[in-house]
Formats: sequence, structure tokens, C-alpha cells
Amino acid sequence: MSEHHDAVADSFSFDQPRDPGWYQRAVFYEVLVRGFQDSTGDGTGDLRGLISRLDYLEWLGIDCIWLLPIYPSPLRDGGYDIADYMSVLPEYGNIGDFVALVDEAHKRGIRVIADLVMNHTSDQHPWFQASRSDPHGPYGDFYVWSDTDDKYTGARVIFVDTEQSNWSFDPVRGQYYWHRFFSHQPDLNFENPRVQDAMIEVLRFWLDLGIDGFRLDAVPYLYEREGTNCENLKETHEYLKRVRSEVDKLYPDRVLLAEANQWPADVIEYFGDPSVGGDECHMAFHFPLMPRIFMAVRREQRYPISEILAQTPPIPSGCQWGIFLRNHDELTLEMVTDDERDYMYAEYAKDPRMKANIGIRRRLAPLLDGDRNQLELFTALLLSLPGSPVLYYGDEIGMGDNIWLGDRDGVRTPMQWTPDRNAGFSQADPQRLYLPPVMDAIYGYQALNVEAQQRNAASLLQWTRRMIEIRKRHPVFGTGIYEELTSSNPSVLAFVRLPAASPDEETDGSDRILCVNNLSRFPQPVELDLRRFIGVTPVECMGGVTFPKIGELSYLLTLPGHGFYWFQLPAAGGDRPPGGEKRGLGGKAAS
Amino acid sequence: MTFEDVLTTWLVKQRWFAGKGRTVHDLAVVADTEITGGDPGLRHLLVTVSHGATSDCYQLFIGQRERLPARLRHASIGSDSRWQFYDALHDPDLTRILLDAIVTDRAVGALRFRRLTEADLAWADRPGLDSLVLTGEQSNTSLVFGEWAIFKAFRRVAPGPNPDLEVAAALAALGSTHVAEPYGWIETRMDGASTVLAILSRYLRAASDGWSLAATSVRDLYAAVDTDVSGTNAAEAGGEFAGEAERLGVATAQVHADLAAAFGTSELDPEAIRDLAEQMFRRFDLASADVPELARYADLAGAAFSKLAKLTEPVQAQRVHGDYHLGQVMRTQTGWVVLDFEGEPASPLAQRRARSSPLRDVAGMLRSFDYAAKHQLITHRDRASLGAVASDWARRNSRAFCAGYAEAGGPDPASHEVLLRALLIDKAVYEVRYEARNRPNWLSIPLESLAEM
Repeated sequence: MSEHHDAVADSFSFDQPRDPGWYQRAVFYEVLVRGFQDSTGDGTGDLRGLISRLDYLEWLGIDCIWLLPIYPSPLRDGGYDIADYMSVLPEYGNIGDFVALVDEAHKRGIRVIADLVMNHTSDQHPWFQASRSDPHGPYGDFYVWSDTDDKYTGARVIFVDTEQSNWSFDPVRGQYYWHRFFSHQPDLNFENPRVQDAMIEVLRFWLDLGIDGFRLDAVPYLYEREGTNCENLKETHEYLKRVRSEVDKLYPDRVLLAEANQWPADVIEYFGDPSVGGDECHMAFHFPLMPRIFMAVRREQRYPISEILAQTPPIPSGCQWGIFLRNHDELTLEMVTDDERDYMYAEYAKDPRMKANIGIRRRLAPLLDGDRNQLELFTALLLSLPGSPVLYYGDEIGMGDNIWLGDRDGVRTPMQWTPDRNAGFSQADPQRLYLPPVMDAIYGYQALNVEAQQRNAASLLQWTRRMIEIRKRHPVFGTGIYEELTSSNPSVLAFVRLPAASPDEETDGSDRILCVNNLSRFPQPVELDLRRFIGVTPVECMGGVTFPKIGELSYLLTLPGHGFYWFQLPAAGGDRPPGGEKRGLGGKAAS
Repeated sequence: MTFEDVLTTWLVKQRWFAGKGRTVHDLAVVADTEITGGDPGLRHLLVTVSHGATSDCYQLFIGQRERLPARLRHASIGSDSRWQFYDALHDPDLTRILLDAIVTDRAVGALRFRRLTEADLAWADRPGLDSLVLTGEQSNTSLVFGEWAIFKAFRRVAPGPNPDLEVAAALAALGSTHVAEPYGWIETRMDGASTVLAILSRYLRAASDGWSLAATSVRDLYAAVDTDVSGTNAAEAGGEFAGEAERLGVATAQVHADLAAAFGTSELDPEAIRDLAEQMFRRFDLASADVPELARYADLAGAAFSKLAKLTEPVQAQRVHGDYHLGQVMRTQTGWVVLDFEGEPASPLAQRRARSSPLRDVAGMLRSFDYAAKHQLITHRDRASLGAVASDWARRNSRAFCAGYAEAGGPDPASHEVLLRALLIDKAVYEVRYEARNRPNWLSIPLESLAEM
């Protein structure tokens, strides 16, 4: 293993100090347990299967696995309809398997976070069953019930395609219940202190098992108030603060990652009070960045990206954005509340190809027509823009999708490990698989799989692994400030990542990275004003090649179509040999 | 060699020297102000250069050092027995003095360094303000201080107020987000008139000009046509620009509204409109004397200008940009900003500040879309087959621009067809004449446009 590895993935035994800021530098990997590895031969992936693939994730350089929901569920919404918070879907294994997964991951320096839905449960959850049948029993007030369906009319209907109202009538109880999502997902009543406590008990249950954090699904909707849109309410934030303080008390290095599909200026509310470095969620997804990366490359100009980052407010010191290119989640046009602030959505709506891009039905590689140069450019942007990158399983080998499977299943096909039967994913009869693996001529598992790409030094997988390694060698990618540089060419996005402490002061010699990206398919020149780094000899990060010293005049670079450079900017003037860069992360100095 | 000889030898080689190809009869230093003595020293010179009957006045910022460091050698002018002279705008140590003088609102000899009272110059205390001369400029020299301010020094100076400063300051005072707010300027008196020599204003960081941005769109479109199996048009190409064009239309209308608020409006009565049409006729005749191909469009132009002359409804007039095209607008991280309110550079000052229909700017921009669409075709191997695609791009973006312009409250181009058409033809005729003189291989662009009209 790389000698740099130990710094981010510090020791996980409880008697040694742990690294509380790990998530600011981590590379995340989103895993669909169902689709990753089947250990039992039943055609469905499981936790034991995932354990057997941890060596691969360690080799790739992943710091944290994000598990999609693993709870018992009727699976009417991909497991986001939880029927039991404190156990594991039997197809995936049991609690013992989960503990084994966490232990084995930690041994490899990998952390594990899991999806958790606080806002609502499945209608199959015993709480709901008790609530509907016994209004005066202990669970009678666990959900939001009403005699009429005319309260909270200010709240929009999110799934407009399937739901007409946020209220549905329950014939058993004879009342309406509130649901922001599907009618089979009743919202919990967070006004009820017992619901608040029950949810914290759920968190504790998993934290005690060693989990490193949660991705909190649908956080803006916990509370309802008449006369509001019932989103981002003060009460919701107060509850999240309480959750955070409960977590901090006993589990100081765990992470809460908010899914709040909102504009960045609203999302930062979920980080909490900046004066204490944030006291709600440690992380939140930056949703608008992803479609804008696609837009910028499609338009061959940097403004879609420049603008959104210029409009992204600074975040508290202890916080971090989660950024992604693909995700199982959709950024729907309906979810952007104020399109006045984002005219770009109007442009997406007019552009059929862009509309397809922001949807979730395609994987990265087929979206980019399998173009290796673009795949590399997109990945380089993901790994260098401000935030912790979240990779979607399979995108590291450029996996394809199966559009014939419909809805989201097209991007949930089995991970392609080998050219063998079932792509090495399962020993089951191929007809028993939860979904067939991709079999087309270009993206099919016989041509495209981990085994083949591990053997080929020039493969996308090997390239991605190398880029992750470079990123981890430079913690400034995770913790540094982002500053866009003025470039003479609108197709070129150039920026520096600088240590956050004192951007105005001399940061000579510390970790500094210059990234230059050509968003156009054509070769482009660019002139950059780099005089603040005068005398510095840039060192290209992949090959260690030294570039001409930065002088008084504009710095001229030429880039091939969709090309990019990452340069390390060592201290000025020194005769330091290329590659003699700083190692050591997380406070561990290179020795 | 005298000092004047040294200056002459250097001056005639400068890009911004306007008398290229003409014999310099005489160079005279008419003003010489020492801004700072010692080594390095900084002097401000006004020199007149006469070419026989005509003469031009240039402003020079002269640095002098006993030893010229290597980094300044590219700016060297010459030397005398003691001093090495060089273009001081390339020396951050000396430009800093200019900046400080503006910030502190000082007078040095006949030079007045003025600071705009309401300007927020807190950035001027920050480190890292070493200036850098921008490349690519033709007639003036601009330098940036850090990423905060741009200092534009006019090279050829003429007595009188500066329309750009006047307009930008007025619009900034109205709170416009579409101008680069001025911070200050340098002025002196020439021929009894207060004359602006240089302007310091907000630097548009991470911005690029509309022309380059439009060019990326057009380039993408051509390549898409080249490679796509299915038919590609401007709407479907990846570099689609119509959204930007529409927002530019909105910005233009807002700038026009602010110009009207700041400088007032009036109406062109039928007589004034007839005069305007007359001028168009005259310009056409002049141009077709130069470029015989233009004769083919005499009927087309004549019909359009006659229609304009017969216009009875009054036309609103106001201060306008006057030389509006994609090269004059910058895309920043927050939107479009309009630069250079100096008017048509070849016109006399009074005419540049005169009121006219804001649709003149609209026509200028629409012609610029046409240029943007077509200029990359001049040397393109598929010129013939791409012509229709280029026109499609120009039409699409013109429509989007006009829609944004009308939506934001500008006079709707669609309901002023007669005037707009006359303005477009007049502009194209001007271009024909200009290209025939300066860029004969671009002549086909305005000629083709006339054919399309």
C-alpha cells in the first residue's frame, strides 16, 4: 500500500486518538449492496460479498463507503421506505454481517457510512401499523394525522408525477396522514418528543456498532408549519443541532451528510453555526455543481461552473461539500425551488441532451459517448473542485447502463468484476440475478471489467486509481480554498487550491495546487497571470515533469482537447528536485 | 541622438502609433512632468508628432534608471549619457506611484490624479498589487493591478472630456451592474480643455469577452455539422449560445434605460429622421465609389433608406454606446458587462456624445452576431456547405438577443422594423468600406449579409 495511506485512514481502535476531520479529505464511494457482490449464490449482492471486495476498494484508494439503504423494507422506493430501523434486509445478511463489514473495512483504513431516512418510514413499519390501528396508543402520535386534507397547503408536492396531494386518507384510522414523498411513506411527527428520542436511539444503535456516519435523506422536511412551504424550518434545524450534539458527545469522529436538494445558499444552513465551525451536519451534497459541469463541457465554456462556485457561500471550518458526477439520486427540475436564481435550468429544459444528462438514468461513460478524454476530464474536475468527491460504483471502470431496464434500474446493474459468468458478481443461475449484467458490445462485462483493467496499466481504472492517489497526496484538495484564476480563454477553467489558513499571506512552500482544464473538444491556448507565484517552478502532478518557471509575464499553456493539468507549486526559487514534494497528511509530517 | 530622436525611433515601432507608413516630420515634447525623481524616476510626457499637415498628440510614461534590469529590457526606449529610458507602464515599481497618486487624489505639476469620491478603494492597501500590462491591445495600453483594478492609459490623446469615463461614472452612480465601475482618472489641460489621460476602474476578474465566447459556440457548431450523423443546427449544437445572447439583450436594455435616466431623452422628429436617411444615402455613395461590388445593393439600400425617410412616427433618441459589438461586452461570473462607451472611434467627439436611437446599438450587436457566425468560415474548407449553418446561428442568436432586449423594456426591435433595417444596412455598408480598406479577405462577410437581406 501507499505510504501516504495511513494518514487519512488513521487507526480505528478506540484507544488511540482518531482523526476528526477525515471527511474533509476523504474519497467516498457509493455502493449498492445489491449490485456489488453476491456471496451466497442467490443472485443478489450482500454484505459478505461486499466484505470480500474490500481489498479492491482499498487498492483503489477509497476512504469511505456509502451504503444505500440496508434496512428491511418492502422496497417500493429502493429501500428508502424503511420498515425496521434496527436490522438488516435479510437478503443482504444480518447485523453480525454488518459488524463484520465495519471491522474489516476499518482494518483496511476504510470507513463506512449508511443511508438513513429520518423524515418518514414505510407504511409497513410497525410504528405506522400501531399508529393507524390504535390512535390513543403509544404510537398514536408518531405520524402527522389530520381529520382534513387542507392543512399545510403551502407545501409543494414533490413527486408530482405520482402524487396529487401530500395528504392521503387511511381507512383504518379514518384520518388523513401527511407524506412529502410517496403515499406509502408516511412522515414521522417530529413534534412528538418520543419520535425525536426514537430517532436518536436509532442513530445510537448503529453508531455503537461502529458505523462512521449517516447520509441523512430528505432532511429539509422534518417539520411542518402552517403558512410556510414546510421546508428548512427553524424547528428542523433545531432538531438537527440536537442530533449533532448527541453524536458529538459519544462519537466525536462520525459524520452526518445531509441530502438537502436545494440551492447552496440554503443548504449551508444545514452546516449550522459557522462561529463554532458548524453544529448541524458535517457535510452536505452540492447538487447544482454536477449538472453545471456537464453544461460547461457541452457549451465549451467555463461560466456554468464559475458562476455556481462564485455563488456558493463559504462554509464553516469543520464542514465539507460532497460533490459527485453520478449518483443514484436525481436532480429534478422540480426540486430547484427558485429558478429565478438559476436561469440555467431554463436552458437545460430546452436542451434534450442536457435534460438526459442531469437525470439518473444514465451512467457517466455512456453519457460521454465512452470518450476517454472526457471521462478523464470529468474525473479530474470531480477530484479537484472544492468538496469531497463521491464516486458511483462502477464508474471507475467506465461501466455502461441498460436503458431497457427502465427507471433507475438501468444504472443499478451488477458490478463487472471479471469476464466470467455473471461478470464475476454471482455464482447464481444467470436467470436468477436481481438484474442482468450489461452485455452489449462496448460496455458488456466481457470487454469491460475490473480484472481486465487491473491488468492494463493504461486502463481507466488504473488511471483513476493514480488520480485518487495524487489527490490524497495533496490534502489541500480537500481542505484548501478554491480560487478561480482569470484566464484569457473562456473554454479554459483555471483555479488554484491554496491552504485555507491565510490566503492573503505568504503561503510559500506549503501545499498549493494549480489546475487548468480545457472544457473544449479542441486544443486551446491559455494565458494566466500567475505572478503571485513568481519564481515558482510548477511540477506536473502525474509525471513530475517540471514546467517553465513562472515569471513576470503571462504564463502560457496549451492544452489538448478536453485536456487538463494539475501542477504542484512548490516554494519559489529552491532547487528542490521534482517529486520532492511534501508527503504526510492529517498532521503527520513526512519523516 | 537627441532625446527626441530616441523617442521617435521607438515611437514609430509601437503598435498604437497611428502614423504607420507616414513620414514623421517632427516630434516635439509639449509637456514634461516629473512625477518622481531619482532612480528609478518617472516622467510624464506629451509629445506631438506631425506628418506634414496633420499632427497627433501622444502620451508617454517614461521610466529612467541608470541600470536597466533584465526584466525591463523588453520595454527599453533608449538611453542618454546617464539614463536608460523605458516604458514605465511595464515597471510595477513606477505604476504603483501612479496608483497611489490616484488613491490620494493628488496634483503633480499640470497633471491631476483624481479619485472618484464614492469609489471604494480599500483593496489598494492589499499586497500583491504589482501591475501587469495586458497584451493584445491595439490603440491604448492597459494594465491590471493584482486582480482588482485596470488602468487604461490612452496613447493618442485629444483635448476634451472622455465619453467612456463620463458614461461609466454616471451608470455606476445609478447602481448599474453592467459597467466596470470607475475608481479614478488622470487628467490635464490641453488647448484649454480638461482632458482625460488615463482611467482606473474595477477589473473584471475571471471574465472573457463576448467575441471569444461566441467564437467557441460557432466553432462547436461547425464541428458538430462536420461529425454528426444527423443534421445539426444551432439549436442542437453543444455550444448553443442563445441563452447568453438573450441575457446580453436584457443587459443591453438595462444599460440603455440607465443611459436614458442619466443623460435624458429626446425625440427625433420627421425632419431629423430624413437627415439620418440622407446621411445613410451619402455613406452608401461614398462606399460604393470605393467598392464597386456594392452597386448591386443600391436598390436594396435605397428602398430601405427611403422608407426610413418617410417614417412619420417619432423615434426616441438618447445617449447610446455607439460602437456596440461582441468585443465590447464581457461575460463575468455574474453576467454581462459593457465596456468602452467612447462611441465610434473615428467620429468627432461631439458626434460620439450625441443622442441617437438605441436601436443603433441593437443593429451593431446584430451585425456582430453575423460576423461571429461567419468570420471562422473565411478560411474554412467547408465554407460553401457551412454558410447556411452560420446564417442559422446568427439568426437564432439575433432573435434571442432581441427577445431579451424587448423583454427587459428596450424598444421592441420587431415593432421598429423600418428603422432597424436601415440601421443594419447602413452598418453593413460601413463594414464593406472598412473591410475593403483594412481586411480585404473579410469583405465577403458584410457583402454576403447584404445579399441575405
